[in-house]
Amino acid sequence: MGVGTQRLDFAEFYRRSRDECLRTVLVSVGDQDAAQDLVAEAFARAWASWRTISTHPAPAAWVVRTALNANISWWRRRRREVAVPDPATVADMPTIDGVPCGLIDSQIMTAVLRLPARQRQVIALRLVMDLDTGRTAEVLGIAPGTVGAHLARATATLRGELMPAQQKETSP
Amino acid sequence: MNDDQLTTVHDDQLAAAVKGSLTGVHMNTPLQAIVSRGRMVRARRRIPGLAAALAVLAAAAVAVGVLLPASHQASMRLAAWTVARQDDGTIKVTIRQLRDPAGLQHTLRADGVPASVTFFRTENPACRNIPKPSLRLTEKVIHVREYGRSEVVMLVHPRALPGGAGVGIAVGYARLGGKKGLAFSAGLVQASPRCTGG
Repeated sequence: MGVGTQRLDFAEFYRRSRDECLRTVLVSVGDQDAAQDLVAEAFARAWASWRTISTHPAPAAWVVRTALNANISWWRRRRREVAVPDPATVADMPTIDGVPCGLIDSQIMTAVLRLPARQRQVIALRLVMDLDTGRTAEVLGIAPGTVGAHLARATATLRGELMPAQQKETSP
Repeated sequence: MNDDQLTTVHDDQLAAAVKGSLTGVHMNTPLQAIVSRGRMVRARRRIPGLAAALAVLAAAAVAVGVLLPASHQASMRLAAWTVARQDDGTIKVTIRQLRDPAGLQHTLRADGVPASVTFFRTENPACRNIPKPSLRLTEKVIHVREYGRSEVVMLVHPRALPGGAGVGIAVGYARLGGKKGLAFSAGLVQASPRCTGG
């Protein structure tokens, strides 16, 4: 594979999957700045190993797994600080664990962010990224049955918190 | 409709609701910033080979250093590093050997770039991040453009430096995937006598 082709392929992959990866990691970590930083680092690592990653059966899942596993190095810590938003631009916006509510549905995200971390990760991978149970288990390094258990608990909790309100809204 | 079907409908609604709640969230890191960082990652992986080569050449480097000191002249071959001003004002820093960080720092300052340069340490503890750092600004000021097996090239854009800011460059050993290697770091710092020098 030539360098030109490699770059084109990666650019297309980045364009297609960056938002999905960011949203998945955001739901997992609950902090938009951190999610942006982690996903950027993961995509950079994907670029650095693109010849290998491009043949991965689910490269976007690889990016998410890498983002979630990223080590905090000195460089990353500095990059983390780099992502601090200008306080003046967000001072008037309510936030959920640092997530500006103007970007997301606050009621749903509030409910999701109340879930335990592992349940959030499962919700992110299964519902946001549409991964199947097997791939989700692989990304998180847990058994498929555990994925199912976390998903069942998480969806039950979310249904309890969200569906009654939505059903009320749609009832005559 | 049985309970399972009802659950499925609800799960589909739930998935749609969660997914729909995030439609306003977008990755805003430019592709070029990803590629630039990717180059640093790739260079870092290659550095163990460079470090071995440097160790082999260490004795020779001392003599070479006397004859060909680090300088502004890109034509001087085998200097530990060179700093060259491009026609567009960009400062090109080429690092071949981890020697004389104070000299590199002084040379950059003479070229209008307040800098903190550390080799074999992670960073100068006297340095502080600029008050309102941004990733985009950092990438505008400094990034790795190219690299080879035996050198790292950084491009610094002095005109993009905010007032009172300097460049922090640190090259040090790091544990990378169980192997010892070198990590290159670059960021924006507050210029001060203790950080970037007088």
